[in-house]
Amino acid sequence: MGTSVPSPGTTVAGANLTPAPGSGRPVPRGWRVRLLTMLAVTGPGLVAAAAGNDAGGIATYASAGAQFGYHTLFLMVFITGCLALVQEMCARLGCYTGEGLGSLFREQFPLRVTAVVLVAFLVANLGAMVSEFGGIGVAFELVGVGRFVSVPIAAGIIWALVVFGTYQHAERVFLALALVFLVYPIAAILAHPTVREVLSQTVLPSFVPAPAFLLLSVGLVGATISPYVQFYVASAVADKGVRPVDYPRQRMDAILGAVFANVINMFIIIAAAAAITTRAPLQSAQDAGQALRPVAGPFAAELFAIGLLGASALAAAVVPLSTAYVVSEAIGTERSVGKSFREAPLFLWLFTVQIVVGAAVALLPGNLINLLIKTQILNGVIAPILLTCILVLTSRRALLGKAANGPLLRAVGGVFIGIIAVMAVAAMGISVAGWFGVGG
Amino acid sequence: MSASRRGMRPHRTHHLDLAPGPRDSVVSVAGLVARPVRNPGGEVVGHVSDVVARWDTGEPHPPLAGLVVRVGSRRAFVPADLLAEVRPDRVTLTTARLTLQEFAPREGEVCLVRDILDRQLLDVDGVRVVRAADLYLATVSDRVRLVGVDVGLTTLLRRLGPARWRARARPDVVIDWASVHSFGAVALTESAGRGAIRLDRHRNELNRLLPVDLAALLEDLGRQERCELLDVVEPTVAADALESMHPDKQRQLLTETGPPRAADLVSLMEPDEAARALRGLSRQQRDRLLDAMFDEKADALRSVMAFGPDTAGGVMNTALVIASVTDTVEHVRILLRTKRHVADLDAVVVVDEQGQLVDDVSLEELLLAEVATPLADLIGPPWPVWVTPNTPVRRVADRMLDAHRLSAVVVDGQRRPIGRILADDVLQALLPGLGLPRLPRPRWPA
Repeated sequence: MGTSVPSPGTTVAGANLTPAPGSGRPVPRGWRVRLLTMLAVTGPGLVAAAAGNDAGGIATYASAGAQFGYHTLFLMVFITGCLALVQEMCARLGCYTGEGLGSLFREQFPLRVTAVVLVAFLVANLGAMVSEFGGIGVAFELVGVGRFVSVPIAAGIIWALVVFGTYQHAERVFLALALVFLVYPIAAILAHPTVREVLSQTVLPSFVPAPAFLLLSVGLVGATISPYVQFYVASAVADKGVRPVDYPRQRMDAILGAVFANVINMFIIIAAAAAITTRAPLQSAQDAGQALRPVAGPFAAELFAIGLLGASALAAAVVPLSTAYVVSEAIGTERSVGKSFREAPLFLWLFTVQIVVGAAVALLPGNLINLLIKTQILNGVIAPILLTCILVLTSRRALLGKAANGPLLRAVGGVFIGIIAVMAVAAMGISVAGWFGVGG
Repeated sequence: MSASRRGMRPHRTHHLDLAPGPRDSVVSVAGLVARPVRNPGGEVVGHVSDVVARWDTGEPHPPLAGLVVRVGSRRAFVPADLLAEVRPDRVTLTTARLTLQEFAPREGEVCLVRDILDRQLLDVDGVRVVRAADLYLATVSDRVRLVGVDVGLTTLLRRLGPARWRARARPDVVIDWASVHSFGAVALTESAGRGAIRLDRHRNELNRLLPVDLAALLEDLGRQERCELLDVVEPTVAADALESMHPDKQRQLLTETGPPRAADLVSLMEPDEAARALRGLSRQQRDRLLDAMFDEKADALRSVMAFGPDTAGGVMNTALVIASVTDTVEHVRILLRTKRHVADLDAVVVVDEQGQLVDDVSLEELLLAEVATPLADLIGPPWPVWVTPNTPVRRVADRMLDAHRLSAVVVDGQRRPIGRILADDVLQALLPGLGLPRLPRPRWPA
């Protein structure tokens, strides 16, 4: 090789191409690529656990721990099962159909049903946007900057970052900040909770018969089974081009990711329950930050603020983008990743409105932590609608063929969703009664 | 290369103007659903469930084959000749008695509501992907036919309203069905034999699309439709389009298509573009594709990928046109006629008897010289920029700028040419985000 003279008139065939002497080895991939590859292999779950927790989630888990100690842990086990079920179904849909949920709804359901579901999805995501900007407000209030300054500026910056194309760089920074919440397991252990108590209330049902417990439970459902995350999972799997033959690996990722993420969430509850001893709803971010005291000591609040900022900023861009993609997909307008914003006006409009509404509502006077938890309750109320649609789609043999749900999965899914639906309806009842001054 | 730059040929959607003529002459398919079907006596026999059209006549506007009518809990098929009239607000049969044949899909027929409405379609003239918000039937040459598809947002919203709104056809943005390419019909009806008639109507136009345009279509389509489109276009056309696709979408297409076809497509791409595409895949997928290719091609790609992506060797194009010092201009012209990617060349490499680089003669010089001129006469300043494969791309860019050259020749240790780097290769390597800001795809987790 390398000694034959290329005869005139031919293109050089591959056989006599050799790297110049001294450079024969393939160039090793950079360290960044290797780190990302490792993360990709071991931790879609890892990254999801960190990135999937947004401000509303953190506030709800911390509040659950503060207010009810370890009593919500059994429920979290049930919710983990639901999450694993739903995430696996979304991944299966993405893999076998190669389409996102917006497109599937439009093609598989009557148009009116699709419209109702998408409106519900939009409402849930507006709630999520409120919680993200609320989280940014909380994070800055912890270091002394008022929300009327931080929220509008943050909204403007995030909007500009995405629209002018530099978001990918900022995304890495936000992700790094959000990884702070991976210290919660450490915080939980360092807080020396009573292990027997923790385990017994995880393994055995231990509910508190109070309306507030039910509301918070629905909030936990909403915080864990965030609609936008499930839609994202489906489209992410579709976008990777995963073929049905490669699905088993994808299924493992989806289930493990769900379990891992929820284990972290349970640690947040444990850490909060152990560190905050007065059993009352969380009133301020200061209190929420106390859960990190075992790890960060006097800097608990600051550490909490950093993590909260990262998680909120990350989600504040992902949520409106995901929503805009789903709706554009369902309507059938231009949404290709190659387009500029100018070429996709509906997309840009959808994206902007979500940021504006989210920021505006977060500026309304009131307790931000309360607001955050309320948005998760809203998520929890809307969740059964979307979950039912996903269960219906995955049960359709015409769509998934042999990969469609068998009778067992359909039954289990139906029961789980039924339970969540009953909780949601009860929660709505309590809330409405509360508006009229009835009940506790 | 960015797929957001549309081709220079103007894209003109072939719109259909349905406004003139009596309103009732145009029937909205979405509005027909659930309408009562009556016999001549006025009794309601059932309700419209679906509209069936004949797909295999090869006509630009498919004729109505019949209606699927829901009678009680069953779905019956009513052939077109039993339909006295089909109007937006009512459907009347010709006979009082109706023998109910249970509906079963037949070869060459398509159910419009189930399989076309709300699905993705290709507007071939306008070169874009659309979704059918509504379909319109009209009487043309004494037969009721599918004439247009409405893709307007208002139409979509109208369908959410009460039945009154749905029935009245208020055409919004309507595309002539003759210039629409639909998907799924082939898979639904039967084998490729009959279905090929349908596909061929647009085959030529689709194969003449510019690579950027075809790339944009492939990016917008769902997986099933994308696969079908790849069945229609020639592999060389598809490979060119693949080069213009966004890297994420390129990866998606190669992954979901699987080794035999994906390997074909990659081997038809330009070597440097192919290498870039392969680098975007996981090692396992890359190996699968390389194993599925011809050895010679796979080796060529492996050698290009052996160099780092930011070096001369990693971005060069290995398709060279090489001539000897003793050749004439005419000989070189004959050579150029046989090359496929000649549009990307700006010069021809000239080597001596040992195969070592002597000069790089520009196409302009070749054009202006007499055909009998020996290449030896054309050799001289300006001398080419030549680099070794491990030269960083930035350095190559510097050298090209200093010499005011549009390309550089990559040579091995013995000064034999092994590839060429063009200005756009350098740009692509140095400025990955070049172009308008794209809609970011939310990318977490991992």
